[in-house]
Parts: sequence; structure tokens; C-alpha cells
Amino acid sequence: MVQERRILYEHLDVPDINTFDVFRQYDGYKRFEKAIKEYQPDDICDMVTKSGLKGRGGAGFSTGLKWSFVPRDIEPRYLCCNADESEPGTFSNRYVLERNPHLLIEGILICCYAMGISTAYVYIRGEFTLGKRMLDAAIEEAYQQGYLGENIQGSGFDLDIYSHPGAGAYICGEETGLIESLEGKRGQPRVKPPFPAVEGLFHKPTVVQNVETLCNLPFLMGQGVEWYTSIGRTYGDTRFDPPQSDPNTGTKLYCISGDVNEPGVYELDLGLTAEELIEVAGGVKGERVKAVIPGGSSAPILTHYELECRLDFTSLTLWKSMLGSGGIIVMNETRNIVDCLLNIMKFYAHESCGQCTPCRWGTPWVRDIVQRIADGEGRQTTMQRPKFGIAEGGRWGDTGEMEEVYEDLDLLESVANNIANVDTMTWNTICVFGIAVSWPAVSYLRKFRPEFEAAIREGKLVTLPVEEATVPPEENYAYQQRIVPRLFEAPT
Amino acid sequence: MAFIKLNDLEVEVEDGTNIIEAARQHGIEVPHYCYHPGLTRPANCRMCLVEPHVFFPPAGKVVPDRQLATGCTTTVRTAPPDRKLDGKYDFIVRTDSPRVKKAREDILEFLLVHHPLDCPVCDQAGECDLQDFSYNHGSGKSRYLEVKNVPPKKDLGPDVLLYSTRCIVCTRCIRFCDEVAGTGELGLIHRGSHDEIDIPRDHDENPLRLLDNKLAGNVVDICPVGALISKDFLFKSRPWFMKQVNSVCPGCSVGCNITVDYKEDGLYRIKPRFHEDINQHWMCDDGRLGYHYVNSEDRLKVPMKRVDGELVPTSWADALNLIVEQFSETAPESIAIIGSAQGTNEENYLLGKLAGEILKTESIGLFGREPGEEHKFPQFTIDADKNPNTRGARDMLKLGDDAALTGDALWSGVADAKAVYLVNGAPERPLDDMAKQALEAVDFLVVQDIFESDVAQLADVVLPGVTFAEKDGTFTNAKGWVQRIHRAVDPPGEARVDWEIIQQLANRLGGEMNYHFAGEIALDIAENMPDYQNATHQKIEDGGVNLVSEDS
Repeated sequence: MVQERRILYEHLDVPDINTFDVFRQYDGYKRFEKAIKEYQPDDICDMVTKSGLKGRGGAGFSTGLKWSFVPRDIEPRYLCCNADESEPGTFSNRYVLERNPHLLIEGILICCYAMGISTAYVYIRGEFTLGKRMLDAAIEEAYQQGYLGENIQGSGFDLDIYSHPGAGAYICGEETGLIESLEGKRGQPRVKPPFPAVEGLFHKPTVVQNVETLCNLPFLMGQGVEWYTSIGRTYGDTRFDPPQSDPNTGTKLYCISGDVNEPGVYELDLGLTAEELIEVAGGVKGERVKAVIPGGSSAPILTHYELECRLDFTSLTLWKSMLGSGGIIVMNETRNIVDCLLNIMKFYAHESCGQCTPCRWGTPWVRDIVQRIADGEGRQTTMQRPKFGIAEGGRWGDTGEMEEVYEDLDLLESVANNIANVDTMTWNTICVFGIAVSWPAVSYLRKFRPEFEAAIREGKLVTLPVEEATVPPEENYAYQQRIVPRLFEAPT
Repeated sequence: MAFIKLNDLEVEVEDGTNIIEAARQHGIEVPHYCYHPGLTRPANCRMCLVEPHVFFPPAGKVVPDRQLATGCTTTVRTAPPDRKLDGKYDFIVRTDSPRVKKAREDILEFLLVHHPLDCPVCDQAGECDLQDFSYNHGSGKSRYLEVKNVPPKKDLGPDVLLYSTRCIVCTRCIRFCDEVAGTGELGLIHRGSHDEIDIPRDHDENPLRLLDNKLAGNVVDICPVGALISKDFLFKSRPWFMKQVNSVCPGCSVGCNITVDYKEDGLYRIKPRFHEDINQHWMCDDGRLGYHYVNSEDRLKVPMKRVDGELVPTSWADALNLIVEQFSETAPESIAIIGSAQGTNEENYLLGKLAGEILKTESIGLFGREPGEEHKFPQFTIDADKNPNTRGARDMLKLGDDAALTGDALWSGVADAKAVYLVNGAPERPLDDMAKQALEAVDFLVVQDIFESDVAQLADVVLPGVTFAEKDGTFTNAKGWVQRIHRAVDPPGEARVDWEIIQQLANRLGGEMNYHFAGEIALDIAENMPDYQNATHQKIEDGGVNLVSEDS
């Protein structure tokens, strides 16, 4: 069985680790001291690039690459630490803030030193009142101990950290929405480009990093790139590894919730499979897994056929899903997928910032359609039409069979795809909230279509047995598209 | 200049031009709602999506970009030689690809899901972007079955109503108030599909502040749908029943370019017209709503003369004969001619000729509305001089820049005169005591006016002139732009166009004027006044020309 590897969370349970003195006993701020004494800022950027560290906030964008976009000749530059952890199913940053806030401060110090930044903001989710209190106390302590403020530890490096609470909007976790909110405006994402690295907070170059990403930096600094890259599951031990060499490095804080026996945050090497993760979390509660949401509620769902996929940034993309924030939600055979989708769509319809047209009016529309289906008022015509799928010869086409037409299911998929197209991965919206809406809508529908059809047919929510509720792998769009490239590879 | 491929056209556009403007310059329409050339670009309506092309190294060729881009925020720039697309283009974009068309159709479907489709009772119908683009780019039917949001109708201010149901939340109005007016009355309340434009309110929904600034009316113009409605124009007319002429606002010496919407029975609406150097896209509410006097029932419709202390209607022949009789009996130096800063250059030029060549008097004055307040906004200024043509009138009457419109300087001149010919034409012009005394002391006062104003009431003969909407001519604004006004409606009753009255009077006094239309006078002006050599009606067209002295 996969073992936990606690790095970020290693000292989380140490009593009073939130105080400077105790933190100091566990190498606290020593990694930062090493950075300012032994390294030039550019060396640290190089280290981060070489480490293969990817942003842990959701997009999995290479941190080193992001830093390289920041123009060094424009002053001032800012760091925004994104602690607005609001993706449903995600709760890993919260523990860092509440229990080990000095670790975050040290990560911020290293990042700011590397980027020549002297002002950092921590944008904390408004509901994290305890987290904010703890962080504020830690910041205060760091100032007293000379690790924040002017001329830190005699190095000539200045840094001020400000913590700022959000007001409860999901969209303020989007980096430009966060910046707008921090500037005191409505939390509405900005049009990109320009990206924040070039023009962000107060129209200055801004690095936006998740708490978890920043917390990786002290360990990367302390133990070096080689150590860091040695962590992470290498490819080659499951059937569906991505063909390219895009290494998984470091650990990931997987937040696992739902129908498992021991839900919680597990720090594991990046790149274990969903099956393994469920095993780590004490196995599924109930009889069997029906579905798994791999990366927060906006990630496309995985069926029980797809549990062998790796939970890392690259593999899940090939599986037409995403690791996102690492919020894994497991559903067992008692869960109704239509109901689950309704729950998620209610959330997104409520949280759409309303700035751009497709999301503002498309998201509630999707919710209303799902609501109607869940209420047993979904529409079905008596018409039949040719069924498309894997036809003779293994090609996509007319299968020669007929299928029932469920108008509302077609409508649901079409409206969701008009907000953001799941197949082409293009969106008509300003930010990726659009795809966060259409991803679940389309994937739930396509992968658990029998349950949606049953709800319409029966006029009420019907929870089918797992096998019946799930579209078989050969009809699963994600599964199929995942397999297809393999057909063109040289036979072994 | 950037060399771009726009659909199948190869065109040159200036660096920094966005795709919407580049396409517009070459006759291609990119539909859009939130984009307005005078405001910032939030790219929130997503209607102007276009398909840029990029070089795709693995394929070794230029391909459509994966994502569509908004035409408003995508600007073209000259690319370095090694970055040219297909070896020569700085940018390649399609506005007509199937992907673009599909995106437009999808966006329009979303825009219409909560829209009430109340075009039959909507003021905007006929000039509505939502209507036009739906017709051109939308799908014919709606797939929306759910309940529509019905946000409340709101009274935002003295002249602006908000029909929230029609609003597509493009935020043009908010940005206008923030950026151009700098007053910031409007904002968004609620979130997501419940977004509403609103003014600040307290917990009992009572307004804390109204949309009550001098530029507020512009939000109605820039609203691409029928959400923001002018109370002044509400339910008055269908746009397609009105005719439209270009003109210049007579409200102050800024000289905002306007269009006048009219029907046979009068003016219905005034809207600003773009002029880059004068008013950009905007105008103030004083000008916008100040046209009602044109339609007034109280307008002077017949000439009048004083009989036994009372003004009584008379005929034109009688009134003019009376003037000729009196003026002929008066010594030239005792006649004063007072032009009007409300009148056109052509009228004042003729007045100048009348005074100088026919009556041979040197007493020439200028009359106009008293100065008001100057209002400065971040991107707009309302002038303190409430006359449209102070500068032009001074030039025509050959008065210095310091010639006063009012006060001692004017009235002391009047006091010496025995016969005065005063042209007014202002919608309102109250007289102070000094002015009244001065005018009462005049033996024979002729007033040419549009109302029975304070000054007309003192007159011995009143001649009914016309307003800016009933005559042709030119105004010179404070910055030296000579611009044209056009006749929209007919003069009321027997009122006559001012320059025709002056010409008739001049000819009866022995002159030989033979102008058939105002343009001929402007040609004369261009010949005789070096500054105005370019200011013929033909050259002015709709854009205006700058005075020659201003050019250098």
C-alpha cells in the first residue's frame, strides 16, 4: 500500500508549531536564511524551474515558467498568496494556515527574495477566521523576530506581508478576480492577456501563488532540487501513463472526502492512482465506488472504470479531467449522479460573478435544466434517431442502431458546451469558470447517461446499480479518446 | 501601419487599432455590445469574438488559434520581420469563420434567455443592437423554457429610467459615469444572473444618490438595448418615423455635434454625433433636453407693432415699412445694430453689412445669453458661454474679442442711440434693470426674436425669427471650429428665417442683397474674411473646418 510522505504536513501536529520558537526548532526560517546567504535570486528561480514544481492551486502551471514571465525592470512587483481556498472538496490550505502559518511566511519570504518583491499580500478566504487569526499572529511574530520588515536579518532585503480576508466569493480564488478584489473592486476576473505576471495588482507585475505551492519552497530550498525531483511517482507502472516525459515532482496534499472510511488530507507523492488513494483513505464506505471527482467539484467525474488513472496534472488532462486543487470526492453506489450534478450546478449558478454573458446566463440555465430533470419534468420525445458510437471497423460513426431522444439531455449538453466547449477545450468566457461549469455538466451526463435517462423516463430520481448507471468504457468519450492515441503507437 | 489579412481582404491599419475598428474601417461589421470606442474595454459581452490565426510550429504553418479572441481587446501591431505570418502579414484574423458565427449565435441565445422580448412596446426597437444582431447573427428560436428573471423597473434620475429586464449588463453606462462623467453614480448590485444596474440605495431601497449629472443623458444613447430610456423621449415616437439631420447644439460655445430627430410637428430628440476634437461621442443634458422651446406654442408667429402701448399683430409689409420709415428719419450715428451670439455667421455678416454699407453706422453691438456656469468633467467640458456663436458673431460684426454681450459696455452704447435693431433668438434672456432702462430709453426699438421675451416686450416692432432647427447656416465655436447647422422643421406661422428678414430690410433701406440661400452668404464670407476662407458650406460638410488662423 502507498505510504504517506509528510513534508508540508510533517510538523502539523507538533504542539505550538504556530509559534515562532517551536517552528524555529524544526528548521524554521533556516531555509530562508540559507537562501539569502548562499543563493542569488536568479539561482532560486533556476532551482524552482529545475524542480518541476507546478502550481498547486488548480491549473498546474509550471511555477518556474510563471516566474520567468515577470519583467524584472518594473518596480514594484507584488506577490499575492492565494489562500482563498473555496473549491468544494478542498481543505488542505486551511490546515497550513491554522496550524503552521510560519511555514507559509517562510515560503513567501523565499519567493519574494527570488523575485525581488517587497510587498506580499495573503488573500484569505473570508470564512477562515481562525486561519487569518493564526496567520496574523505569525506575521506579527515574524516582524518582531526580524524576519519581516526592513533589512531582514541584515540582508538588505525588505518584505511586508499583509493579510486580507475575502468576502465569500468563489470567483475571488481566480487569480485576476483575487487581484480585483484585493484592489477593492467587485471580484470579477480580468481579461487576459495581460497576465498578472506582466500586469497584475495595481497594474504592476504580480506573482500569484497558492499556499501549497509556496509551502513547497522552504523544503525545496532546504533539501535541494535532486531530493525534490526524487519524490513523485515515476511513469511506467500503469497502463495509461502519458507518453511524454513530464515528471511528477514533490508531494501533493490530496483532500479526500465523500464515501471513504477515513476522509481527510493525505500528503502523498504526486501521481498515485485513484484506486491507491481510496485505499489510503481506508477504502470506500459502502459496497463499491460509483464515481470519483478527482480535483474539486469543477473537475470532470471519473467512473469506476477509470480509477486506474493517475492523479497528477498531466495524466488527468489526458483523461479529459484535471487534478485541479486536489479535492477528491468519492461516491458510492447509493449516490444519484443527477442529484450530485444538481448540487454542483446550484453552487456554480450561485457563484457565477455575472461579468460575461455566457456564464452569467448560461450557468443558471444549466442548473434549471438539471433541476427540471431531477424534479422528474425532463422532456423526452417519442422520436428515435440513429445512434452514433464506435461502429464496425472501430471507427466513430453510425452504429446501425436507433436510440431514444431525450430533448433535455441534448439541451443540457449543448448549453453547457456553449458556455465552454468540453471537446475542443475552448471557452467563450473571460475566465475558466465557464469550463468549470460545463466540465461537470457534460462529463456527468455523458458518463452516467443511463441515470439521467431514467430520471426523465420514470419522472423521478432513480439511483441505478453502478454497472447500469455507468456508460461502459467503450462508449465513454474520455476513456475512448484516452485510448485512441495508443492505436497509432508501434506494436510492442 | 500594420499589414493585416482581414477575412479575404489585405488591408493596412494603424498600429494599436483593435479588430472591431479595423474591420469597421473596411466595411466589415463585428457585432458588439460592451465595446464603445469612447470607453474602456471590459470584453464582457463576448459578442465580438473573432478568429485570430497564429503560427503553429508543429504543423509548420499558420492555423486558426485554438481560442477565439474578443475583437475589442485584440489590437494589431506591426510584427518584427521574422515574426510575420505567411511571410508578410502582421496579423491574420477572420470575422466570418463557422466558429465565429457559431459563437455569435450562442452568445445571442444567452443574451436573450432573460430578455422580455417586448420590442413592440420598447423605445429602442428599430435602433436596437440586440434586435439587429439577433436578426443578422442569431438563431430564429429560443430553447429557453425556464422562468425568466424579472428585475424591477427603476427610476434612476431626472431623465433616465431603467427597464432592468431588458438590460444585458454590458456596463457601458457604469463605465461612462466612472470614466467620462467621473461621477460614478451607477454600479452593479447582486451577482451572476441577478446582476442589476442601480444607483446607491439604503436598506429601505431609498436612493442615496440619483443619476443626476449634466451628462446623464448619454447613458441612454450608449445603452445598446432598450434598458436605459430617456423620460423625455419615452413612448413619443418610433425611430423609423422620424427624420434626422445633422446639426450643432446651440446650448453653449462648445458646439457639440448633434443629430436632430424630427417629424413634421416638431423636434423629438437630440443626440450627440461623434466629433473627435469637439465633443467626442457625448453632449450635455442642457443641450439634449433644451430643444423644447423650438416646439413651443408661445413662439412668435407673426410680426407685431406697438399701438397705443400694446403689441398687436401686423403684416410683414407693414412692420418692415414702419422700420424703414423710422430708420430713414434717424441720423446714421443714432442707429445701433445689435447682432446676436445666438444667430449664425451668415445673419451676423448681413447685419454687419447692413450697418456698415447701408446704414453707415458704427454703433454695432452683440447681444446674447448671460454666461452660466462652466462644468468640467474628466473627459468633457460644458462652456460658461451659453451662446453657440459668440466667436463667429464677433468675427462677422468685426468686434474685438472683448466685445461684451451684456453689461455697461453694451447698454451705454444703446443709450446713445435713438433707433435700435436688436436680434435676439435666445430661448430665454431675462433683462436686468440697467438693460431695461437702456432699452426703454430708445425711441424706436426693433427686436427680432423667437419669443415675446423681456426684450421683445420693450420693442416697438417685433419681427418673428427662427431657431437653429429652422434655418441653415454656420456657427463658430469657442475653439474656432466652423460648423454647419441644418434646417429640420418649418418656421412656425409667418416667422421667417433670420437672414432673409435682414436681407429684406436691407434691400428696403436701399441695399442690393441678392442671396438665395445661406450657402451663398458663406461664400461671400469666405471671400471677404481671410480666417473664413475655408468655411464654405461645401467644405464644412458634417465635420466642420477650423479657422485658418487656428491652423497656423
